Amino acid sequence: MEMRIGQAPGDTRVMMEGISKAFGPVQALNDVKLALYPGEIHTLAGENGSGKSTLLRILGGVIRSDTGRVIVEGVEHDFPNVRAAMREGVTVVSQELSLVPALSVAENVFLGHQQVREARGINWKKTQAACSVILNRLNLDIDTSVPVGTLPQDQQQLIEIARALAFESRVILLDEPTSSLEPNEVESLFQVMRQLRDEGVAIVFISHRMREMLEISDRYTVLRDGRFIDTAPAEGVDSSWLIERMVLKRRATIGQASVTTGAAAPGRVQLVEVDKLRDRSGRVDGVSLTLFSGEIAGLAGLAGAGRTEFVETLVGYRHRESGSVRVLDKEVGGTTRDAVKAGLSLVPDDRRYKSAVLDMSVRDNLLLSSRGAPWVPRSKSQEGAIVRGWVDKLRIKTSDIDAPLKTLSGGNQQKVIIARCLQVSPKLLILDEPTRGIDLGARAEIYEILRSLAAEGLSILTVSSELEEIFQISDRVLVMHAGQLSADIPRAEATEQLVIAAATGHLQ
Amino acid sequence: MSNVGLSRLRMTALPPWSGVLMLLVLLIIVLAIFEPAFISMGNVNNIIRAAAIPVVLGIGMTFAILTGGIDLSVGSVLAFSGVFLSILAGFIPISLAVLVTLVAVTAIVGGINGSLIGRIGLNSFVVTLATLGVFRGVAYLVTNGKTQTVDPGVIVTALGDGNVGPVPGPLLVMIVIGLIASYVLRSTYFGRDVYAVGGNEVAAQLAGINTRSVKMTVYFVSAACATLGGIMSIGRMESAAPTAGAGLELAVVAGVLLGGTRLSGGVGTIAGTVIGIFFLTCVSNALTIIGVSSYWQPIATGVLLIAALLFDRFRLEPSRRAKKIKER
Repeated sequence: MEMRIGQAPGDTRVMMEGISKAFGPVQALNDVKLALYPGEIHTLAGENGSGKSTLLRILGGVIRSDTGRVIVEGVEHDFPNVRAAMREGVTVVSQELSLVPALSVAENVFLGHQQVREARGINWKKTQAACSVILNRLNLDIDTSVPVGTLPQDQQQLIEIARALAFESRVILLDEPTSSLEPNEVESLFQVMRQLRDEGVAIVFISHRMREMLEISDRYTVLRDGRFIDTAPAEGVDSSWLIERMVLKRRATIGQASVTTGAAAPGRVQLVEVDKLRDRSGRVDGVSLTLFSGEIAGLAGLAGAGRTEFVETLVGYRHRESGSVRVLDKEVGGTTRDAVKAGLSLVPDDRRYKSAVLDMSVRDNLLLSSRGAPWVPRSKSQEGAIVRGWVDKLRIKTSDIDAPLKTLSGGNQQKVIIARCLQVSPKLLILDEPTRGIDLGARAEIYEILRSLAAEGLSILTVSSELEEIFQISDRVLVMHAGQLSADIPRAEATEQLVIAAATGHLQ
Repeated sequence: MSNVGLSRLRMTALPPWSGVLMLLVLLIIVLAIFEPAFISMGNVNNIIRAAAIPVVLGIGMTFAILTGGIDLSVGSVLAFSGVFLSILAGFIPISLAVLVTLVAVTAIVGGINGSLIGRIGLNSFVVTLATLGVFRGVAYLVTNGKTQTVDPGVIVTALGDGNVGPVPGPLLVMIVIGLIASYVLRSTYFGRDVYAVGGNEVAAQLAGINTRSVKMTVYFVSAACATLGGIMSIGRMESAAPTAGAGLELAVVAGVLLGGTRLSGGVGTIAGTVIGIFFLTCVSNALTIIGVSSYWQPIATGVLLIAALLFDRFRLEPSRRAKKIKER
């Protein structure tokens, strides 16, 4: 079968055949195959739950397959653990970074692999020198003795890759490396990937962003529901080819922006006024902003521009240094309680750490922002009606509203959080990266929900690192740079160049 | 699909304390067979009376642990409360002294623990370890180390040792406090906030919950329970000893954790705490009946505490364990 790709099978660096894996009753992978050639960037495409990560984790030795063969450079292997895979030159760089924040760059790069060891112990000078050589290959110019935790996210990502190189990996598996990166950081990651490819490394890449896949890939393999669907070289593959294979008989129209009405409507009311807002850390440095009813404002910017910090200061999670927030001309206090009361509701960017109480029931999670006096008894039947109302309205897939939130999929958890924010009837709904790590189907549903909310007169502020997303859903594009608002553009006038110029501080 | 539903059902249908309940039942059955004296009316009465104070303390401790904290000061607060009451009883009628003690000691202890942990944000383990020392020391200082005899009067006796009609007073206290606590945790917004703070403090705060005040309040609850425990101990001993309740925090924490409350917070029940502490009390009672030296009791408690943590670990991560077994 692989012959039709046009290369002799002897050339493959990795062959995976007949791979199946079940987690309890869930069949994550079913007779899947994958062929990797030296010097290619191979994209694994598929929706969440299609089995991409599982396949990578099997190849990287993180988990074992139930059946199937893994052949690396002509030899069959069954990697019992990550180290065994690394010894054969296969390294997986996982979604969650696995660095030790308090250790230095050099220590992390050679973690478990201090190659410059002498009788007296580790020769740190030589280790650091060796580390610098690897970092140079990645165009990374940083001090190898600083703790990794002090570096920005994108550099940490590159250090994970440096670690793979320290093991002389010839196969590098990147599971959503760009999900937390900004556009310019993605570009520098891509440069590194291309360079490694040209040196003969086989790279497997997973991303949820269509544009990234199309930009970087030499070859595609598509999975759906744990099954192999198709594989093809980059020539002749476009977004509709991919969507057709990834999404079965579902609306494949995602990407067609339908610019909505809201902003242009004359009846809009000024709801929220932010005046010279500053937080104590200085990450938010005097943001002034007015938000109107019925509009979706998209807040763009690079990592570190202070967008998350801004919205978190707005809702009182971060301490306000100075400035004011007014909702319908009424001053809002500086605690999260004040903000919720005033009608400012935030759907945070990091579900696991900032919004989901995983062991708590769907019901309690959904009603977490709603409250009566602390000692007043809660009415379970009344609550149940409210919760079921939201479950129907937002099409949350759950069998039991008293089941723990962790039994729901990511997209449905996110809908519960959105319902939590809506249940308190906010004036302004703020969403920080609402679709991060959510598959295309759920993403389209969330966009649809936001549009109908705006149509009902809610003001919506969406923070997103994906320009596509900003352009797709916003009536108005806001851009932050270095803690300040650097642009405020109506959707019709916003172009990618303009936004990027504002985000990098090159406007005017 | 039905498979998923079934395993999920099994996960949620069994409360976290079912394991220790099974152990408790098993223990009772075994002892009933080999040591019939264990289930005699007199001994059952003993067990209830011995369990009452740790259960009351454990109920307060459950609130603290549910928020992800801990209150190690409970044993010392029990002694402090008893000494406080014994001195007060020298000046005012005992019933009034009980009320004043409840309010004043709860306010002092809850105020110190609560504001240091809730308001300022210090580590609960360290703060209550410090106040464990402080309140024990104050109890010694005020009494000059001597046990104070107190005439407990009808009310205090009933709370700590006596009978109300045919029912042991301590049993009634346990039931009332247990029902109130259980109601608060299950059916009030405060109770939900306690679980939310322990489950995910950042999420709770971002959802608009005043997490500081929740964390502060649970130390008031724990202080109130420990103060009540001190009053009950006077009813039981007819005296206030500055050494009362020394080391009790070990049994109380062990009972709470055995009862399925997660040390990191967010998961746990009052029912579990009651069962867990009854289990420990039965074990130590059985050791006494069998004639094992009482020096073995803290050892047994400690071993059971570690067993509870191990059990919890495996219950929480069935997938990881299953995977490991598979890999073998």
